[in-house]
Amino acid sequence: MKLGDWLDERTGHRAWARSIAEATVPGGARFAYAWGAALGVTLLVTAVTGVLLMTAYAPSSTTAWASVAHIQNKLPAGWFVRGLHQFGAQASIVLVVIHLAYTIVRGAYRRPREVTYWVGLALAGLVLAWAVTGNPLRWDQRGYWALRVETGIIGTVPLVGPKLQDLLLGGGEPGSATLTRLYTIHVFVLPLIVGALAWWHLRLSRKHGPALATPADAVKIDRWFPSQVARDLLVSVVVLGVIVALTYRGHGAPLDAPADPTSDYPARPEWYFLALYELRKPFHGALEPIATVVIPGLVFAFLAALPLLDKKADRGVPRRLTLLLPVGLIGLGAAALTLKSIRLDTADADLGKAVAKAEARAERATVLAKDGVPPEGALAMMRNDPMSRRVALFEQHCASCHRMGELAPADGKDTAPELTGFGSAAWAKRVLEEPDHDRMFGKTSFKGMMPSVTKPPEDPEAAKVFTPMAAADMAAIVGFLEAEARGEKTAGTQGEKLVRQRCTSCHRLDGKTDDEESLAPELRGWGSNAWIQAQIDDPGSGKTYPAGAMDPKLEGHMPAFKDKLPEADRKLLTAFVAEERSKKR
Amino acid sequence: MQNPGGDEAPRPEPTIEPSRSNPDRRTALRALVTLGGCAYAGVIAVPGAQFLAPSAEDGQGKARWIRVGRLEDLPQGEPRRLAVVGDERDAFNVTKDQQLGAIWVVREGEKVRAMSAVCPHLGCSIDIGADKKSFSCPCHTSRFSLAGAAESGPSPRAMDPLDVRVTEGFVEVDFKRFRLGIAERMEVG
Ligand code: FES
Repeated sequence: MKLGDWLDERTGHRAWARSIAEATVPGGARFAYAWGAALGVTLLVTAVTGVLLMTAYAPSSTTAWASVAHIQNKLPAGWFVRGLHQFGAQASIVLVVIHLAYTIVRGAYRRPREVTYWVGLALAGLVLAWAVTGNPLRWDQRGYWALRVETGIIGTVPLVGPKLQDLLLGGGEPGSATLTRLYTIHVFVLPLIVGALAWWHLRLSRKHGPALATPADAVKIDRWFPSQVARDLLVSVVVLGVIVALTYRGHGAPLDAPADPTSDYPARPEWYFLALYELRKPFHGALEPIATVVIPGLVFAFLAALPLLDKKADRGVPRRLTLLLPVGLIGLGAAALTLKSIRLDTADADLGKAVAKAEARAERATVLAKDGVPPEGALAMMRNDPMSRRVALFEQHCASCHRMGELAPADGKDTAPELTGFGSAAWAKRVLEEPDHDRMFGKTSFKGMMPSVTKPPEDPEAAKVFTPMAAADMAAIVGFLEAEARGEKTAGTQGEKLVRQRCTSCHRLDGKTDDEESLAPELRGWGSNAWIQAQIDDPGSGKTYPAGAMDPKLEGHMPAFKDKLPEADRKLLTAFVAEERSKKR
Repeated sequence: MQNPGGDEAPRPEPTIEPSRSNPDRRTALRALVTLGGCAYAGVIAVPGAQFLAPSAEDGQGKARWIRVGRLEDLPQGEPRRLAVVGDERDAFNVTKDQQLGAIWVVREGEKVRAMSAVCPHLGCSIDIGADKKSFSCPCHTSRFSLAGAAESGPSPRAMDPLDVRVTEGFVEVDFKRFRLGIAERMEVG
């Protein structure tokens, strides 16, 4: 006890402990009071997990994603800590709303609790700001694009907007300077302000005690510990249970592919901003700030003005309906908009495809990061990865005309032959049967140049003398083409013989044709890697098509990529297309 | 502690004992709440501790064969210092072709003996004496024989030997690091 006395003399801790032990709750302990406490505890959880994450996180545009991926996939319990942090933050937002709603319904913002209420309202805004500054720190696609949109909205605020935007971004474009700023705000400035305000909020609410429905209720009284603490703890434990469950379900928090400013990412805000996202839709151009700034500003101002508007002594809900009704409508409106946004997005097939693509990229990034991220950063890692790069190249340079599997012209308006299965027997058969199909050469300047071998021509005179090619002959020609694509020997085969008889009047074989004027392509080596490479390098070189076939005067001709893309990229594309011939469909 | 004001009627002083339950139940509830609080903290603290405690033993025992030079370039019997170049791993980063460290090698016939150039005392880089008859550490004057045995100074153990093999005329070393300052030779990952 000597030590206790010694310490008490210097710190006075016993009086402090007694004040806690003997604290009371006038009117008795209630579960309704537990929401605020659970909010405080949950914020503490995010603070603790946040400090843990700080020990492994590296804020710069080249390291941020890599360090988060390292936390998520390599560090022991890293995914769990991340999950607690993110879902803790989201749970805090939910608890803020519940706590605030209860305060408003009870009329607990009125004299003498106005300042308590305003401090609480400021805290609600700051908790949102905390989440907003946290998400981009991952520097993944989702966080990055949310940041772009959010700082864009800040930029539209009258007068202060542009300056504020520059201040947040640390310059024009989001980059390393932005990350360091957001990080400082997220882990230092906001915790400081939130901590101070939360302490004040707590002091004030202890000072005034709970807002009782009738003063007579104060006759009943409970000790704070354990009666109220038990309720606080129970709610906190349930909240933690939900957070842990969500963490397990998602194996931590999500991590998208590394931020890529040049990509087309289907940006959607986090769920707590979906209402605002949906609200923005009907407002266009100059009217947009109505949805992004004016309406949210008015709602906030209305909530802040409640203590000034509502001064009657009676706390009963029916008497305050004129004030509670608008609050209720705001809440319902937000819920309805959120639901609508979710509905619209789940019904949107294009969005679904874009999301699936983004997820595939994220998965690939995770696989690549397992072997370590180069010092140039995660985006460079993705861009140098052949598997991702060839898809990006095809999308950028080929998919506006050609279709190949999932990669297709945006509006389904193909203007060049489909490359799905290019070089396979199926492709060769199709071009013999229906060369003018819209997905073959029907949309190119070659339309009408090659007759189908099975369908009679449109001209009735010609149709009369038309005889479809015998199935065996066609099979032999298809076999020839397939073998050429695979680089197999065809000399002396029946297929080659038939091709000489029936195709070389227009097509070239070993550069020879009966009709030098014809624009038909070379059939030797057709569909092989060398053929595809030559076609990509320069389709009019004569190795594939004769020079005239790719005359710029002909509409929609294929460009020569040898001047547009480095050789390594052209090789990647060649291999990508060449893979089609052996793909199982 | 109440400060009734505004529209609230002044509150009566509480007259009843501040609990609705009997003392036994209250004690039980207190214990339960304390226990619950500890359990709650544990859910955060346990993964937190795991998160913070990386193990130096991670990756131990893995072979890291690295090519350091050609056998024919090494003179017989004379120690040579060679740079070890490979992929440097640092947390989440991997940097290609970095100098990872240095080793001392001595060619003995068609075989090569290799030792880490890291001083087992506190990690300075071991140099060769002016007379080329012994190794010495510039930091706290540890001296080692050409075979690596500790002769004088604070080094707690001999220089750390490394496994070597010769493939196609190239000398390859299994490059490892060891815990410093202790007599026992313990690999770190
Ligand atoms: S580090 Fe070599 S003697 Fe101390």
